Amino acid sequence: MTGQVHIVDDDEAIRDALHWLFTSRDVPAAAYASAEGFLEAWSEAMAGCLLLDIRMDGMSGLELFDRLREQGCRLPVIFLTGHGDVPAAVSALKKGARDFVEKPFNDNDLVDRVIEALAYDAEQRARDAGQASIAARLATLTQRERQVMDLVIAGKLNKVIADDLGISMRTVEVHRAHVFEKMGVKTAVELARLLATV
Amino acid sequence: MVPDCPGDQHSTAPAGAYDQPKIPRSGAAVTVSWGHRGAVHAMPIVAMALVVVLLGVFLWVLDRNEREEEAHALIKDILWVEQNLRFQLASDVDKLEHLAETLGREDGDALSLAPVMRHIVTTNPAVEQILWLDANGRTVAAMPPAGGDGDGAQPRGEAFKVARSLGRRVYGAPYRLPQRGAGFDVVIPVFGPRGFAGALAGVFSIDAILANHVPWWFAQRYQLEVVNADGTVLGAKSHLAVTEPRRSHTLAYDPPGRGLTLVATVYQTDANATRNILVAAIFALTASALWSLWAVRRHIRGRVTAERALREEHAFRKAMEDSLTAGMRARDMEGRITYVNPAFCRMVGWPAEELIGRGPPMPYWPPEEMGRCEDVFRSVLAGRAPPEGFELRFMRRDGERFDALVYEAPLIDAGGRQTGWMASVLDITERKRAADLARQQQEKLQQTARLITMGEMASTLAHELNQPLSAIASYSTGCLNRLHAGPCSAAELAPPLEKLASQARRAGQIIRRVHDFVRKREPNVAAVNLTAVIEDSVALMASDARKHGVRITVQGDERAPPVLADRILVQQVLLNLMRNAIEAMAQTPREARELGVAVEVHEDSVTTRIRDRGCGIAPEVAERLFSPFFTTKTEGMGMGLNICRSIVEHHKGRLWYDVHPGGNGSGGTTFQFTLPTAGKGEA
Repeated sequence: MTGQVHIVDDDEAIRDALHWLFTSRDVPAAAYASAEGFLEAWSEAMAGCLLLDIRMDGMSGLELFDRLREQGCRLPVIFLTGHGDVPAAVSALKKGARDFVEKPFNDNDLVDRVIEALAYDAEQRARDAGQASIAARLATLTQRERQVMDLVIAGKLNKVIADDLGISMRTVEVHRAHVFEKMGVKTAVELARLLATV
Repeated sequence: MVPDCPGDQHSTAPAGAYDQPKIPRSGAAVTVSWGHRGAVHAMPIVAMALVVVLLGVFLWVLDRNEREEEAHALIKDILWVEQNLRFQLASDVDKLEHLAETLGREDGDALSLAPVMRHIVTTNPAVEQILWLDANGRTVAAMPPAGGDGDGAQPRGEAFKVARSLGRRVYGAPYRLPQRGAGFDVVIPVFGPRGFAGALAGVFSIDAILANHVPWWFAQRYQLEVVNADGTVLGAKSHLAVTEPRRSHTLAYDPPGRGLTLVATVYQTDANATRNILVAAIFALTASALWSLWAVRRHIRGRVTAERALREEHAFRKAMEDSLTAGMRARDMEGRITYVNPAFCRMVGWPAEELIGRGPPMPYWPPEEMGRCEDVFRSVLAGRAPPEGFELRFMRRDGERFDALVYEAPLIDAGGRQTGWMASVLDITERKRAADLARQQQEKLQQTARLITMGEMASTLAHELNQPLSAIASYSTGCLNRLHAGPCSAAELAPPLEKLASQARRAGQIIRRVHDFVRKREPNVAAVNLTAVIEDSVALMASDARKHGVRITVQGDERAPPVLADRILVQQVLLNLMRNAIEAMAQTPREARELGVAVEVHEDSVTTRIRDRGCGIAPEVAERLFSPFFTTKTEGMGMGLNICRSIVEHHKGRLWYDVHPGGNGSGGTTFQFTLPTAGKGEA
């Protein structure tokens, strides 16, 4: 597992305690003292999940969440909340946060949820990687090949495609063969399934 | 007993006895004395008038008597004088008749009789001249020899004729004498052996008669004149003019007759002048007596006016003293009571007559306070009574205790000498009770306000408490995880356990702060380290501030001396002001939300400033900012600032605010309050 749990909390004790907790369950953890500190450290490649205190000096947890979303960060986020912050946490959930945990929390339960989040992230990352290859293959198609492919997926016969595009059937077959080759599939059904995952 | 009902005491018998209104009685006395005074005033005037009238009557009677007496004396005197003159004249005429007889016998030898005639003339001053007339009336001889005849020839001739024909002596009409004055002749016929031989004429001078035959005492009292029938004055004893015609008496002067009269006029006598002086003196005395009476009366009237004014003033002061609700008590230099007013009597329950003259120990000193009362008493007599008054616990007659506020001042008489001590005594039992009640209510209110503050902060405090609790849970779970995973070293577990303990302390700290703050307690004013109070308050507010995204900056002053205050109350003020400041910044951009707490040290006070960058205070809000139950918050009770101010003022400090214009983080409000620094002795 390459992902880490990224703990963002301005309370040093909480940070330290959580770090110790995750370490005790062999979950790799990294701690950040402020939202700004995390933003600085964040990059697209960062994997794992985010454990974010909703209430902090300076930039709050929610603000950081919004900023990360804007920048395309797709790390699963678990909010740490006090009991008064539940409404804020709910709205964060609606915006796409993964979960929230109310303080004081059941620690091993929290660790379990973090582990789930990490797994989810890993899976998502793997899927993302597949999709990225399909997109790369699609990018190699010429415009005409793309047109032909769309019509093939729509289930049209070569003859109909030739008529639609005003080209000969022979040319359609050549293009079709190129599409299959470039996309790494053997049949139209396979092609359709591949594209459906995007 | 109904000790709480002051009205009850008015109706009790002893209270009523010395509470009687005395003004009407003295008013009645005024009218009575006014009736007396009228009679008293009238009497001397009536007496004086009577004296004057009687004196006048007396003088008038005296004058009348005197006049009568004078008239009697005048008549008596003039009769006497007339008699005397007549006698003298008769005596002189007798001598002349004797001579005439002699002449008749000697047969007309006048010369031989010359010495006799001379003798007569010289010895009888009234006889001016003696003439010997022959039978025809011619003058034969004269003694003294005739110088001139004057006007005498004609009357003498007439007299001669009458005498010749009658054959007896005849008085001639008066005429003017050649030398001086007037005179008359007495013609005496001389009969010789041959019958009528001539006549002897004696010339009498009226002046000489008057001069020689009227005595001096008469001349002194009267003016005597001989007046002719036609009113001509022929001679007078005194030629002094009678200035003022007074009483006179006229008597016929006969002989010589011929219409001559004697007129005696009374001179102004010395006795008269004396009497006049006496009368004048009496009148002067009367006048002066009247004047002095008037002056005395005026003086009395002045006195009466002054007395009335004094009486009114006295009655007013008495009424004032009687209606005073404050007790008044005067004591002499030895501390004995010399005066008490009804209010004081009502207060202590003893009547005035039982209190006056009493020295210490006073009956109203409660036994348990005897020592303190005596101390205060001695210090008052020593002149060390505090001018701001002192409080004592006194005892009513029925044994009920009451708190009295006593002001003592020296009693200075009109001569500027101190004669004792004057005290005003106020029964402050009710006031004290009310003040105690108000203080208790204020305390309760402050307590409630603290609970409300804490209630409003509950969620943030819960969060605050959650932090260490969460950390504790995490540390302990982590340790358990480690233990479950298999053997592990103490070195590995010790640090997290230590941290766990410190977080437990942190939680305890928070709970202690909250507990300190809301605990019901007596106010405890002492030297307080303001910086520590601010730190505590900031710690309590920290999570609230974080929730609102507010940064708190504290700018303390290391040199800040301790302030004289109640720590919790000051903290309440700080929390309230900080909460207000945080909430005022709800509309401020997040990055500008800053709450500044600053301390500034002055000479004898410390100013604490709480500055926000919020929306400021609208003028319509400012007006009612400190009013109770005024709030701009939906959940607020509106007691915060009101309580803050009363707390600060209770500490002899001041709470105020300044609004900084400008929006969105540049403006805001600064609330400031001062607290007195603790003196060096208390620090």
